Amino acid sequence: MDFQLTEEQKLIKESVRDWFARNLPLERVREMDTKGHPYPQDIPKGLGELGVIMGTVPKEHGGQGLDWFTQTLIAEEIGYADPTIACAAAFMAVATGWGYTLDKYCSEEVREMAIKPALKGEKFVGIATTEPGGGSDVAAFKSTAEKDGDEWVLNGEKTFISGVEEAREWGGGYWVNVRTGEPPEDAPHKNMTSFFVPIDAEGLEPDKPYRDAGRNALSTGGFRMENVRIPDSYRLGEEGKGFYRTMEGFDNARLLIGASSVGVTQRILEEGMKYIKERKTFGKPLAKYEGIQFELVELYREMEATRLMTYKTAWMQDKRYQDGSFKPKDVAKWISMIKWKAPHLALEAANKAMHWLGAAGYSDEYMFEMAWRGVMSYCVGAEGGENIQKIVIGRELLGPDYVPYK
Amino acid sequence: MNFIVCVKQVPDTTEVEVDRESGTIIREGVPSILNPFDEFALNEAIRVKEKTGGRITVLSMGPPQAQEALRKCLAIGADEAILLTDQAFAGSDTWATSFTLARAVEKLGKYDLIFCGQQATDGDTAQVGPELARQLNIPQMTYVESIEEIDDGSVICKKETDGGYQRVKSGLPALLAFISTPAFEPKIPSIMEVMGAKSKTLSQWGIDDLGDEDGDYGLDGSPTQVIRVYSPPQRGEGVIIEEPPEVAVDKLIEYLESEGII
Ligand SMILES: Cc1cc2nc3c(=O)[nH]c(=O)nc-3n(C[C@H](O)[C@H](O)[C@H](O)COP(=O)(O)OP(=O)(O)OC[C@H]3O[C@@H](n4cnc5c(N)ncnc54)[C@H](O)[C@@H]3O)c2cc1C
Repeated sequence: MDFQLTEEQKLIKESVRDWFARNLPLERVREMDTKGHPYPQDIPKGLGELGVIMGTVPKEHGGQGLDWFTQTLIAEEIGYADPTIACAAAFMAVATGWGYTLDKYCSEEVREMAIKPALKGEKFVGIATTEPGGGSDVAAFKSTAEKDGDEWVLNGEKTFISGVEEAREWGGGYWVNVRTGEPPEDAPHKNMTSFFVPIDAEGLEPDKPYRDAGRNALSTGGFRMENVRIPDSYRLGEEGKGFYRTMEGFDNARLLIGASSVGVTQRILEEGMKYIKERKTFGKPLAKYEGIQFELVELYREMEATRLMTYKTAWMQDKRYQDGSFKPKDVAKWISMIKWKAPHLALEAANKAMHWLGAAGYSDEYMFEMAWRGVMSYCVGAEGGENIQKIVIGRELLGPDYVPYK
Repeated sequence: MNFIVCVKQVPDTTEVEVDRESGTIIREGVPSILNPFDEFALNEAIRVKEKTGGRITVLSMGPPQAQEALRKCLAIGADEAILLTDQAFAGSDTWATSFTLARAVEKLGKYDLIFCGQQATDGDTAQVGPELARQLNIPQMTYVESIEEIDDGSVICKKETDGGYQRVKSGLPALLAFISTPAFEPKIPSIMEVMGAKSKTLSQWGIDDLGDEDGDYGLDGSPTQVIRVYSPPQRGEGVIIEEPPEVAVDKLIEYLESEGII
């Protein structure tokens, strides 16, 4: 086991760190969080030039052919740079985690139309699986697709979808999950199929975006599909197998958002340390008081533990893709552990840091409250809620007979 | 044209702290970076090469881990890198350093311009560039901010002086020592460039590669010896007299008398 980063990995980390220090300093993160969506496009275009969006996509498809471990290091740096997690949500979890999986299963036509521009930051690709009737509960999905000659006709509604406003402005589209047949009663995940649906498809009607608590630079919205017609070449993977493809997409997105959350925690602790060393009460810096110092130390310990888990998971993910020595389910258990742990740790760190600062921490003079509002999105549900991660871990520990929904 | 850029890996001085008791620099845990003046010089070399064509070789003397800084130079746009690394080079002062660099430059053969940073942010001597020019017997220009014109036989530089700028022309080959400008934004290598740097040549040369083992190498070849490193005692807060001169002079005399200085 070698914990040393390679020369290239160190240089890539440095490039990402330097690029963000120049183009997205905390002041600009604050401005963007205050102003709200749509996300300013100079950022993804710059990230595209840097080569970090969908870095894991093979070179033949326009990507960098990076390993997941290196992509994980990049995601960590992006969380560090933007602790509201908007940047990481848009361009790591969604554009890269889902984008990579989309690229893996899409036709050359979709690749040319959507993937290649998206990895340059010129278009937005996202994931649309959640419906008003169910987020966690896949069985409750109602959207459908029916085959009509060489085409499919889609109907239904998707909600809480990241990046709808950005996709409308820049162009692009979504990985959309629908039913292509009634599922058997004991296997609700069957007969689900995934398609790529361009945002400007006829019959697709966007909803008004939500007013979220945080990560405000990136929009969350939804859309309705009424007889949206798309060619069969927009289908992602085999008919009826959409559930498995979707789980793979979740794995990739969850890994990267876990890594980004470690970066958020790192930034919170660094900024918090600066403050508690300077701020004096009763004649001494706050950092001298155990009530404060020990909280910092505990968070630091947890952060390092989470980082190690994240790196191990990324390493397993590479093995899964490179030589199959880890099966998707082995990796999914680890991915769920970090998807559950890392955003909650960032939330906890922000919460504690706000206490260290008192009133200042509650105000927009410091970054903590926007980090707190931002990472909450990944605690309540984005890329799957906390309890869903527990169900995945429990399933792997106890066996499939013990899942609660059977 | 053939350009050589001399670079050094230095501790990131923005993060350096001095041990209050021993007076020495605490190096543990301080990240290493490419000397910012050298980074400026390299960026300038890349800018010039875009117009003239040619080849950029970066040259550094340092411990094996300085390879990281060279890899970064390759990612930024240098074509080849050479690290001079050997136990025999350890303890070099600026003279021995420039001697060693000069041997390497001679081994490299034909070159048109040598780019150096004005100084390295760790030692701050600003001696290695000029000494290297002297060792090679070529003209040098220091405090250079940019290259304004260059052709096969000559170069015109803009250099800073106490009162402003000079435009200076020199024949080639020559050595230029660069300062940096406040507006300078170093090139950030992309992932493609980092991955591309992996396949560029990065060689390590030891004393055997430089030919004759006799010469001013390492500690033995260094006329300067550092006896002690210490930080100057902290000064107290100064007194500023903000008055028109007629009043200020009297106040100053009064103050100096009250302190028993005059
Ligand atoms: C900011 C943001 C962005 C999002 N972006 C996207 C996107 O781009 N695309 C997309 O498709 N979706 C997106 N989502 C939706 C996200 O995937 C869902 O929030 C998530 O799947 C949870 O679904 P739900 O919100 O409907 O909650 P529910 O499924 O109603 O769950 C509510 C709560 O109950 C818990 N729970 C559910 N079932 C069980 C059980 N069996 N046992 C115990 N506890 C249970 C959940 O963990 C959760 O805490 C986003 C969400 C947010 C907050």
